[in-house]
Amino acid sequence: MNFDLSLKKSFDGFHIDVNLSINEGLLVLFGPSGAGKTQILRMISGITRPDEGFVEIGNEKVFDSANNINIPVRDRRIGYLFQDYALFPHMTVYQNIAYGINHLERPLVQIKVDELIEVMRLSGLEKRYPHELSGGQKQRCALARTLAIEPRVLLLDEPFSALDFQVREKLRADLLRIHTLYPITTILVTHDLEEAFMLGKEIAVINNGHIEQSGPREEVFYRPKTRSVAKFIGTRNIFDGTVVDSDGSHVTILNQDIGKVKTFATEGTKLEKGQEVSFCIRPEEVLIIRPDRPLDDRVQYNIIEGEIVSITGKGSTQIMFLKTGSGDTLLKIELPNFVIRKLSLDKGRRIRVSLKKESLWVIP
Amino acid sequence: MNLFPLYLTVKVSITATIFTASAGLVLAWILAKKEFFGKTVLDVLIMQPLVIPPTVLGYYLLSAFGAGSPIGRFFEDVLGMQIVFTWKGAVLASLVSSLPLFVKPAKAAIEGVGNEIEDAARLLGKTEWYIIRTITLPLAWRGIAAGTVMAFARATGEFGATLMVAGNIPGRTQTLPIAIYDAVQSGDDYTANLLVGIITLFSFLVLYIAERFSKGRF
Repeated sequence: MNFDLSLKKSFDGFHIDVNLSINEGLLVLFGPSGAGKTQILRMISGITRPDEGFVEIGNEKVFDSANNINIPVRDRRIGYLFQDYALFPHMTVYQNIAYGINHLERPLVQIKVDELIEVMRLSGLEKRYPHELSGGQKQRCALARTLAIEPRVLLLDEPFSALDFQVREKLRADLLRIHTLYPITTILVTHDLEEAFMLGKEIAVINNGHIEQSGPREEVFYRPKTRSVAKFIGTRNIFDGTVVDSDGSHVTILNQDIGKVKTFATEGTKLEKGQEVSFCIRPEEVLIIRPDRPLDDRVQYNIIEGEIVSITGKGSTQIMFLKTGSGDTLLKIELPNFVIRKLSLDKGRRIRVSLKKESLWVIP
Repeated sequence: MNLFPLYLTVKVSITATIFTASAGLVLAWILAKKEFFGKTVLDVLIMQPLVIPPTVLGYYLLSAFGAGSPIGRFFEDVLGMQIVFTWKGAVLASLVSSLPLFVKPAKAAIEGVGNEIEDAARLLGKTEWYIIRTITLPLAWRGIAAGTVMAFARATGEFGATLMVAGNIPGRTQTLPIAIYDAVQSGDDYTANLLVGIITLFSFLVLYIAERFSKGRF
């Protein structure tokens, strides 16, 4: 089901202005808290009225400020999973799921609800009340309730944030399984980077009420268009520099502390000599040069020397900060534990690293 | 011993409570869920009987519903109903005095039903009226029940406004609290003590029930 929207709304000193177009599948709307993600879902569903714009589902406009169309929430057939699920506390699991279709004939309701209970692994819990369910069961019950009305689009508001860390991973996989069974055009809102990466083939990064970048996951994650997108998607090494050489295919950038780095020119953008740009590299892409080995071809560019100022464990990997040059520029490096052990890296040691051409990304 | 005041009080209180709960429910819902111009003014007006002297309230009602006023004439001419100095006047006085005691807890209970839960029901295709019946009222019923009990208790004990609007006509408008006043005035200690005992016991029971309701022990 095609799903297009353009929404504008002003709150106290905060403006939302977004355009989105989704063909099919699942779009992850990713951004920090307070970026306006939930408000966008509320406007799509009709709970909040936008100042301007339209929401088009299939070929039907459910909201269009230009033509004064504003179909009430109850007639939109939009599925909405609230962050804390909003189950009806005085109804059983069965009654909750049946609520939206209880105008249908009983046997039909029974068949539909039974099917959803089975798919959502809620069998045996039909007569329980919401307060007797675990977080994951609540979530699946709310999802079943929403799916019962056969929504045209599905909006999921931070579906995993109310759950324990341990069960999240399993439930994310669960959600993907359910989405293949009920392939409804879906928008999932999250501020969790890992979640965005795992669930979204398409990602839209939102900040301050605006979509900063949207597209396929790989493109957004590895080719951020702006500094703030780079920051949100976990690129921690973002540096400023001046273009000192540009020949179409390659570009050389000078940063005071890091020195000169050479990388590929960003497709579709023309960089001029003297232009101020940013460049970035993901912490896990920085390579350590082993002093006992000859440099191989891949790493002979962009070699930087620095002093390790800290090493902190992060589960299976460790985060290391390298102080380069005379300023206070720190390069964040993420390495697997065994590498740290093998090279006996420690605070205070000076090492050389390489910023591979392929791993560097220039933001004009 | 004349039991008419007891009978009249029960009749007036039950009638008043029915009206209070019906009108109060609508008002509580509007105040809890709707935003409109003059909302605070309406809220303050409903709460007035809690703070103004009952005699003042009674005076207002007497002026508004008396035979000389447009409302009074409407009731008299169109509905053939006289309000002041009849038992209906006592109902009116009790209704207005007990309204805030119903609206306050009912409004809080309805507000307590999260907007999100009602939105969830809207998203499932349900009409406002259906949502009120199946979500809002069932979830707010404790507060509504507590409010009803409080309103009933207030109606039973209503004195000042009732005296102004319905008067003190033995056998016609003399309710229990007014009968107590009368008995004390005429030195009939036996009747006064008996009636005071009845009212005290009753008030205690009502508050006890209301408390249990709001704490969810019924």
